[in-house]
Amino acid sequence: MRTRKQILHRLTRAIVMVLLVAGSIAFLMPFYTSFTMSLKSPSELATTAAWSWPKDASLKNYGEVLSNPNVDFRRLFLNTVIISTTATFGAVLSSSLVAYAFARIRFAGRERLFWLVLSTMMLPGIVTTIPTYVLCKYLHWVNTFLPLTVPAFLGGGAFNIFLLRQFFLGLPKELDEAARLDGASHWVIYSRIVMPLSGSALATVGIFTFIYNWRDFMGPLIYLNDVEKQTLEIGLATYNALRAEQWQLLMAGSVLVTIPLIILFISGLRYFVKGLAMTGFK
Amino acid sequence: MSMRVILRSLTTMLLCAVAWLAHAKPVELRFVVWDGDESLRVLRRVVQDFEKAHPGIKVRLENVDYTVYFQKLLAQYAANTAPDVAMLDVQNFQRYARRGALAKLDEFLATDPQLKVDEYYPEIVRAFRYQKDLYVLPRDIAPIGLIYYNKRLFREAGLALPDGNWTWDYTPRPELGSQCFTYCMQQLTKKGANGRMTQWSFAPSWTGAFTDTVAFSSGARYVNDPEAFTSLNFTDPRVVRAFDWVAEVANKHHWIPSQTELTSVAQTTAVQLFISQKVAMYQSGIWDVPKVRDALKPGSPEFFDWDITLAPGYKDPATGKTLRAAPTGGSGYAVLRSTAHPREAWLLARWMAGEPGMKAMAQAGIAQPAIRRLATGPDWIPNEQTPIDQRYPASRIVTDRAVPFVVFPPSAEYWSEVSGLVFSKTEPIYTGQATAKVALGEGSKIASRRLQAILTEEELPPFDWIKGIIIGVVLVGGILFWVFWPERSVKRSVAERAESRTGFIFLAPWILGMIVFTVGPMILSLLMSTANWDIIQPAQYRGLGNYREALTQDPRFWKSFKVTAIYTVVSVPLGIAMSLGLALLLNTRVKGMALFRTCFYLPALASAVASALIWRKIFQPEGGILNLILFGSDGQRNLFGLASWLGNDGQMPNWLGDQNLALPALILMSIWSCGGSMIILLAGLQGISESYYEAATLDGAGPWNKFKAVTIPLLTPTLFFTLITGVIGSFQAFTQAFVMTGGGPNDSTRFYMLHLYDQAFGLLRMGYASALAWILFVVIFGVTVLQKRLERRVQYGGDA
Repeated sequence: MRTRKQILHRLTRAIVMVLLVAGSIAFLMPFYTSFTMSLKSPSELATTAAWSWPKDASLKNYGEVLSNPNVDFRRLFLNTVIISTTATFGAVLSSSLVAYAFARIRFAGRERLFWLVLSTMMLPGIVTTIPTYVLCKYLHWVNTFLPLTVPAFLGGGAFNIFLLRQFFLGLPKELDEAARLDGASHWVIYSRIVMPLSGSALATVGIFTFIYNWRDFMGPLIYLNDVEKQTLEIGLATYNALRAEQWQLLMAGSVLVTIPLIILFISGLRYFVKGLAMTGFK
Repeated sequence: MSMRVILRSLTTMLLCAVAWLAHAKPVELRFVVWDGDESLRVLRRVVQDFEKAHPGIKVRLENVDYTVYFQKLLAQYAANTAPDVAMLDVQNFQRYARRGALAKLDEFLATDPQLKVDEYYPEIVRAFRYQKDLYVLPRDIAPIGLIYYNKRLFREAGLALPDGNWTWDYTPRPELGSQCFTYCMQQLTKKGANGRMTQWSFAPSWTGAFTDTVAFSSGARYVNDPEAFTSLNFTDPRVVRAFDWVAEVANKHHWIPSQTELTSVAQTTAVQLFISQKVAMYQSGIWDVPKVRDALKPGSPEFFDWDITLAPGYKDPATGKTLRAAPTGGSGYAVLRSTAHPREAWLLARWMAGEPGMKAMAQAGIAQPAIRRLATGPDWIPNEQTPIDQRYPASRIVTDRAVPFVVFPPSAEYWSEVSGLVFSKTEPIYTGQATAKVALGEGSKIASRRLQAILTEEELPPFDWIKGIIIGVVLVGGILFWVFWPERSVKRSVAERAESRTGFIFLAPWILGMIVFTVGPMILSLLMSTANWDIIQPAQYRGLGNYREALTQDPRFWKSFKVTAIYTVVSVPLGIAMSLGLALLLNTRVKGMALFRTCFYLPALASAVASALIWRKIFQPEGGILNLILFGSDGQRNLFGLASWLGNDGQMPNWLGDQNLALPALILMSIWSCGGSMIILLAGLQGISESYYEAATLDGAGPWNKFKAVTIPLLTPTLFFTLITGVIGSFQAFTQAFVMTGGGPNDSTRFYMLHLYDQAFGLLRMGYASALAWILFVVIFGVTVLQKRLERRVQYGGDA
């Protein structure tokens, strides 16, 4: 009986492992392809299949991307880090406040105001681009990082609010009710109880916002004019210019742009485990 | 009399003061282009020379990707932050010239005797005129009428090298040898032992370029007047025959490879076929030279001898005359009317599009100068002093020979809209899924109807802004009323009122954001949905005309709505199922979990610009990895019987080029980026306390029962979150189609948002686009309400 259970257990583990490995290979394919393409010379790129391993792999393209004075990678990297970090900080802070209100505080018009939050996601941004841009011009924000960072502090986006609200609703009510009876204010419950318990949800919001801003193309494109103020994604597009594409450099650049995100993601994963450990009560 | 003297002297003094101030502070000009790395280097150098020659002027060079160039220019124009000098091309300048956004250059030219317009190719100067006025100073002319050819493969096939005097014919004419392009096509095609192609004769940069060449050189034109056409000639038998013949050459004779980009996306990789010697001839413009030169360095193992020649003409059997035509583009620099320094802006434009700028571009071999003297001189034509690796192609002089045959796309601004309606219908011709007669007839009918509507558009009354503002205020009031009206009867204790106040303090950042950034633009777009608004000129009131047009006349509205609905209905549940499966897998305790999680999330991290190219490579019919997995390297494998199901007469499925497969391909691609919802579900799973599972185990529940009784109910809020946001997101799906297919083939991937974007920034119909946006808003709102209802029912059902 016991052995049968053990066999079953081992079998499940094996199946899980096989699925994970097979899936990973499939999901790695696009990144692997950009990596192999980034190691090739233009002639090898043109004469071999995209995913084939290069005959003489070289990091020459990486050197070229990093040293191109036209697309100052270090500068763009710094700009992108500043924008993404600021926006992420703002979004996590403000969306958690707003989401807490929608999840835990009884105020007038709560349900219907939440519908307003949701509805801001439903109108295509294309038709509000121009008025928003004109507004930013009157604020003297054009060609600065402000239009890309300040709005994050003002609500942090409907998606994030919605995500955190759902998560906060799932937290056991008994906790803060007990705290309320002890006379704790909402600020205390928010900062001492709810936030520490929401590691994985906050990490999710943080990771999403950071990645969104890191990869954003339209925002920096519209608002930033000067070459030295641009972000990595805009810089990459230079290698993809109409009829002047340099695919090997585009791929090397895209690998470089993705690596910080991978590091960030892996470090963000720790909060997931933490979240598990801390909600393991009740 | 004395008054006038005083006034005049005052004016003079003022002018002097302005001049002095202007002199003291250098004038700063903003100069915007769309250019690649290499030409940016050149431009930067030329700009520096300009600044040296004009000490009072500083120039800031800005570069914007072509695909979004005009969107940014429009936003800047609306906000009055437009650059002083901007690059424009033949297809797009009229839209701005017609609306008075560009300065008339003839006025500058009159005061500038050194710049002689007759030194420029008259063809390109004519193309940049609108109603007799010149608006853009041409910098280059770009005929797509060049054939790059591989000398080795010509010799191998026993053909004399082409001299440019060749002609194409509907059938090969062996007696003419290499004077007959069609015979060359036949002779240069090779089949392997297994019946699969090993070498094709020819590939155009994109198929439409070849079709245009064939149609134009047989004497046809698509419209009656390029500057302001009133009728379409797509049903001209010569046009029909051109489309049929190009399809026949690809599908029946296999002289052209099928992976030639059929969709209308600018990014093509067809040049790689030439470099890898899979095709012997390649039709394109001069801009591909740097790519070919980079890949084929003399002395490298990949090198082969190559050159360019003129595209073939057509010998009209009736007259015996040879007709030639080269579809052509061209770009140049315009001075914007909004500039504060027109004089300085002109100096910059004439420097960049004059001898200094053009010489530098010519020496770099990037673009064919629009000044004929330079295009035939030593800066452009290689000679003995030219370094060996820059000497290719030797016959660069043919670029000059091509100019008399150039055919520019019609400059009428409605060309892109009207032709788009026809060309989307022609895409199935190339895949053999429609005949040219039927497809062109159908497309022509739709396009003509739209053309008539455009030509008979009436003047509308100006938009009444006072009324608009009042309506806006009333709307905001109405929403506030809707939110707070039910609260009026609720009796609140002091503590409850304090709680409510705290709530609004927590909400304060969001409320501020709404007031500053969201409400205004949203209301404005709602107002504009009742207007004709082109961003540049004042809006005109159209009532419900935009909505009526969308629901009853727009030939693409329902099609794009259907495409989007199918995409949503298929990809959202599929994506959620996939991400739930992955989240469950990733929530187990296995070694190396961080690594696995990263792998599955990786596609969602990759840069969008690069992903588009990668996915095009994956979906490539010949040699793409997807087809390789499904059909094997020899094309004989038949994985899960898919080959016979997807196959098209034994040919590999052309994922992005086939109207039946393009949408499934995009759905498949969307699954790869399900990492986001996977993470959310994973966070949800981690929120489920172990104790529930322990309790279930004590009750003797197996894994399936645990999943059903614990996981699913507790995950319901998270699942509904991914469902609701997934639906909202996929109704607004845009990027995939924008970068991968451009909406084609045959509009099979024309997502609603793509249609909306085209209307807004491609055709400057911001009012109509706003109406489309609000229709979508209503649809998404309705669907979300339904989902919320469902969620409530599921939750109560779970409790009971």
